[in-house]
Amino acid sequence: MPSPALDQLSNAGLVSAILLYGFAMLAYALDFLYSRRKFESPATAAQAREKRPAAVLVGAGSGTADAGLAADEADRNFGADPADASAQLADLSAPPGGSGSDVVGLTKWPQGAWLRTAFVLTCLGLVVHIATITTRGLAEQRVPWGNMYEFLSAITCAAVLILTLASIKFRAYYMGLFVLLPVVVTLGIDEAVIYTPEGAVAPALNSYWIAIHVTGMIIAIGMYIFGAVTTVLYLLADRHERRVAAGQESGLAGIMAQLPGAAKLDQLAYRAILFAFPAWTFAVIAGAIWADHAWGRYWGWDPKETWSFITWLVYAAFLHARATAGWRGRRAAYVQLLGFACLMFNLVGVNLWISGLHSYANM
Amino acid sequence: MTAGVADVAGKGMTRPGKAKFGPVAWLRWIWRQLTSMRTALVLLFLLALASIPGSVLPQEGIDPAAVAQYYTAHPALAPVLAKLSGFDVFGAPWFAAIYILLFTSLAGCVLPRAYRLAKSSRQPPPKAPRHLGRLPQSTDFPAAGPADEALAAATRMLRARRFRLRTGDGWVSAEKGYLHEVGNLLFHLALLGLLASIALGGLFGYKANKLLVAGEGFANTPTALDVFHPGRLVTASDLQPFSITMTKFTASYITSGSQRGQPANFNASLSYTAQPGGPVGHYDLQVNHPLNVDGVQVFLIGHGYAPTFKVTDGTGRVVLDQPVPFIPVEEAGLSSDGVIKVPDAKPQALGFSGEFLPTAYETITGSVGSEFPAANLPRVVLVGYEGNLQLNNGQPQSVYSLNTSQMRRIDYPIKMLAPGQSIVLPHGLGKLTFTGYRQWASLAITYDPGQLPALFSALAALAGLILSFLVRRRRIFVRVSENGNGTVVQLGGLTRSDAAGGFEVEFAELTGEFKRRLGSAAGSSAPAKSAVDETSKDGADEVALAQSKGE
Ligand code: HEM
Repeated sequence: MPSPALDQLSNAGLVSAILLYGFAMLAYALDFLYSRRKFESPATAAQAREKRPAAVLVGAGSGTADAGLAADEADRNFGADPADASAQLADLSAPPGGSGSDVVGLTKWPQGAWLRTAFVLTCLGLVVHIATITTRGLAEQRVPWGNMYEFLSAITCAAVLILTLASIKFRAYYMGLFVLLPVVVTLGIDEAVIYTPEGAVAPALNSYWIAIHVTGMIIAIGMYIFGAVTTVLYLLADRHERRVAAGQESGLAGIMAQLPGAAKLDQLAYRAILFAFPAWTFAVIAGAIWADHAWGRYWGWDPKETWSFITWLVYAAFLHARATAGWRGRRAAYVQLLGFACLMFNLVGVNLWISGLHSYANM
Repeated sequence: MTAGVADVAGKGMTRPGKAKFGPVAWLRWIWRQLTSMRTALVLLFLLALASIPGSVLPQEGIDPAAVAQYYTAHPALAPVLAKLSGFDVFGAPWFAAIYILLFTSLAGCVLPRAYRLAKSSRQPPPKAPRHLGRLPQSTDFPAAGPADEALAAATRMLRARRFRLRTGDGWVSAEKGYLHEVGNLLFHLALLGLLASIALGGLFGYKANKLLVAGEGFANTPTALDVFHPGRLVTASDLQPFSITMTKFTASYITSGSQRGQPANFNASLSYTAQPGGPVGHYDLQVNHPLNVDGVQVFLIGHGYAPTFKVTDGTGRVVLDQPVPFIPVEEAGLSSDGVIKVPDAKPQALGFSGEFLPTAYETITGSVGSEFPAANLPRVVLVGYEGNLQLNNGQPQSVYSLNTSQMRRIDYPIKMLAPGQSIVLPHGLGKLTFTGYRQWASLAITYDPGQLPALFSALAALAGLILSFLVRRRRIFVRVSENGNGTVVQLGGLTRSDAAGGFEVEFAELTGEFKRRLGSAAGSSAPAKSAVDETSKDGADEVALAQSKGE
């Protein structure tokens, strides 16, 4: 039997999580204002890149400097990728900050009072958020992602989870402010506008495949969100770096000094997609198995299925673009954002404007 | 991979000159274009774009009623869209053209790569380049012992790390991570497998629907099924000869709270035989729990009410005594519409159309409805007609609609009937009694021989994907030389499949270990790079180039 008391507790939890995330954002912002990170400024990194002629030759694969490599690259089975080479060069040219650390200049745990505060608040918010979702699940005695309200809460939770993991693993603490911003906005709308009281789900949704399928989707979406936010930052950083290189004014110098530079952001975004894409693939397969159990066909071109397929294709195109001459960098970044737009359309647009078998997600 | 050569080297766009190249060269050029990464990219986008109308326009295969509605709403546009396969996007020739091109490109791209990978996995890694300092990862440090000992130790360490090795005079090159390519190829080949599985289902599978009233049964033959979509190569005799009877149907609903009226559980009790005369099995069919008979899956996809009626005509004969399935028109209260056709009634054929209300209510203004989906207060409201039902005019007619164009409305006061109540028709037309109700279930029957192969292909694709993302293919080169100050070890590293980074970490770890094992206790005053460059002059670069070109 659903329990209203537990349900109320879980609502209070969501509000607390939003507040904690909000304070964390504030602390991240203060960290940006008051602490000086030890990044080399992206502009100097770009200059350093120019200054490594030998390595640039490897990247360009010009066939004279290191012919063995260039030929290998042409073979496409193997060989230095120009984009990667320059990304790695950015590392090499940065001052050594602990052997092998990914983002040079940052240690594994957050440094500085504001950043530590921000990170602790983020973690606290995440714990409260997870507890909220868990209590709602207990209150309803089912997986707590059966409607739009719960789904949004779950994907933002996944995004924050990915943020904290990436912060530690890749020292990407600088991402905190930018990931929490859409999370707080979404959760605010979720709580204020979309709120749905607890309840059971329709029999068609009552299967352990829903748990597997939707959990996979949620994790993948969390990573896609992280990837999209990072890619937007990459595009800004790239613009900034090109302007600086061309001797133009860039209004973003303040923020960019706190970020590790375009190459590193690009790599971080790519990593997010490398994890997200198989997770999405898995979730689509699990969804097909579920559809087969529920409706007797594993694929029926229902609008939701169609848009999952479109999303999958565009992200596959992104992965291809990264390996296609002339498409790396900004063009690939736009492809990724297009994939994200398809993903969001599937979550919101299809529910609102196109009806199908999946219409359970109606608000 | 031809495609890669063309793209990466930037030579793909050079057309063969007309003077020098014949048709074979042109074909080759077209093939190269088709199998290039750029084309694959464009085709992926095109396929995504082409799918969009399939989600926006109603599709014949999913919701034929919505297509019919579209025709009435947009009478001018609909026929044009139909011509362009707008209502069957995923079966459209232009959709097929895109995915066939994509998969041709895929095969043309992947099969040669698989061949080349198989060949190169049996070849040793290339010789170490002369200038390791120019590799993306490189370092050098002085070693403690003589050069050949350092080299032997380095070789042992790399072998212990399971690198494939090639040794030469003063150098060793090592390679690892073929599984990256294997994973990538597995992924792409599995996509081909997926397409083949889908084709298998499309040719040899079938789909059918059957509406079954509790207490009734049917045999799996094309005539007994309401809707039958056979695959291209399926004939009637290919249908598995099972038969199914539904003994009982139960539905329960949430009775309180904000979700009052939402379904909680459906259960269809079936008895079935796999072939005539075979043993009888029993199965509780529920949503998400299909019945599997002989490889065919039977699903519960819908339910509703079939009120039962008894009609006596003007001559006193019972002309109808059976359940009549009504179709739900709204979810909250399951109000259902239906028609009763009595062609054999005398003196006039009769027809009724009306509504079944599971939990009926009536407002003060006289409008009626149903406020709960369970049959707590079952009522019917019927309007009667007499005249020609037009059942034999050659036009197929739905059992759920009444053609009243040649019928007259029978004049009697319309009111809700409770079970057991009757309408006595005026003018000696007869009598209709609402005797009660049963429930019906609609079953989806699907046979898809490509299902399991599709599942395996999809899982193989996923495994390939994960493999190619986890494994990075990399080469490590070691050069050892002696100069005036002692032994110098040079390390170089290179990876191709590491766009997401991480190789620098592995290289740093490896370097650390090398230094610990081989390094001189004295510390790390690295000698000038130029000195190292001058000492190695065996032309490994040129050899590596020649070898790669030969592939
Ligand atoms: C159904 C169409 C296709 C899909 C969905 C698809 C998807 C993908 C995905 C997701 C990846 C990244 C995963 C990995 O590296 O293993 C990839 C990589 C790759 N694909 Fe495809 N692909 C398709 C067709 C093609 C075609 C037609 C070609 C040949 C031109 C091709 C060549 C490649 C290559 C060379 C890579 C490796 C890229 C790299 O080195 O990073 N693919 N593909």
